[in-house]
Amino acid sequence: MSQAALLVIGLFALLPMDAAIAHAPFEGVGSFYGGLLHPLFVPTHVLAVVGTGLLMGRQAPRWRWFPPASYVAGLAVGFAAMISAYAPQSAGAVLLAAAAASGALVALARPLPEILGCVLALMTGLALALDSPPGGISVREANVILIGTFCGAAVLLLGVVELTIMLRREWQRIGVRILGSWIAASAIMGLTLRLTR
Amino acid sequence: MRSLGLCFWIVVPSLLATPVLAHTGGVSGGFVGGFAHPLFGPDHVLAMVAVGLWGAFLDAPGIFILPIVFPLVMAFGGALGILNVPLLGTEAAIAISAVVLGLMVALAARLPIWMASVVVGAFAIFHGYAHGAELPAGADAVLYCVGFVIATGLLHLSGIALGLTVRWPVGNIGVRGAGAAITCAGIVFLWRLA
Repeated sequence: MSQAALLVIGLFALLPMDAAIAHAPFEGVGSFYGGLLHPLFVPTHVLAVVGTGLLMGRQAPRWRWFPPASYVAGLAVGFAAMISAYAPQSAGAVLLAAAAASGALVALARPLPEILGCVLALMTGLALALDSPPGGISVREANVILIGTFCGAAVLLLGVVELTIMLRREWQRIGVRILGSWIAASAIMGLTLRLTR
Repeated sequence: MRSLGLCFWIVVPSLLATPVLAHTGGVSGGFVGGFAHPLFGPDHVLAMVAVGLWGAFLDAPGIFILPIVFPLVMAFGGALGILNVPLLGTEAAIAISAVVLGLMVALAARLPIWMASVVVGAFAIFHGYAHGAELPAGADAVLYCVGFVIATGLLHLSGIALGLTVRWPVGNIGVRGAGAAITCAGIVFLWRLA
């Protein structure tokens, strides 16, 4: 499959999100797979993870493994807090803020310090975990959902990073910048709406 | 081959807009509602397409720089609209944007990128403001905004796809003619407001 086709598929993965949520995609798929798919079907999560992944991919190879490791660490800490019954209401707003920042930095397309990537990735991972309360009816089922969500969120980010690294041609890089600006714009407006309602 | 791939990437999203629109009737919130919102205002549509068309006459990166600048500034305007910050003359500014952007296309104006970005960004605030102020109360915030931004971006990409034809003489005339038509439509919008 050509890189152009991959990019188009990635872009249009955003389109069916509405219908997918309306049809409860997790029915019958089991706890683990329900958790695994969860980050793919929550728009706020998709915006934040794709924005962060695009940023990491565009800054490679200057940025090494520290930002992805920070993201995974943030997920782990967030899920540990979730198991301890800590679930703040503002995690969704933090995710949107992270998506806005990541998207704007992707659109800006300037070399950035790796520490900034670590902070953004840690914030995204932590907020994503805290914004994913499991719907399980037992502790065991809830834990399985959380493990699935952890795996899904990690794989989604690494997939976006790898895909972005593959996009080396000039027009593909510009396409990534446009996608970044779309993510930032959506997140800024979504965040404003969320904070005012 | 490279330009073929570029055309593919630009044209396919434009084509995909049609089936999505077919399901919009009466939906006010969510992705489809947000996606449909910019498409129902002809003044918005013409101005967005003009942004894409104008890029074709700018230097090499310009064709894509404007569609990067526009959504970012539009989001700022949208936030102002959501917050109900007073902004006078929004509708007139949107009609004027169609006039000015259409004129830029018709004249094949080759402004420096920064100047073109300032012109487009200034109008983007008003377009974003109008959308933000008209957001339905029950809308799913994020999905609505994602749909709204993608629709706007696809309108830009449609303009870019048409603008790629300027390399041929007939295409050049056609694109500049489209710019003139957008200017005329903008004048009509202004006249209706008066």
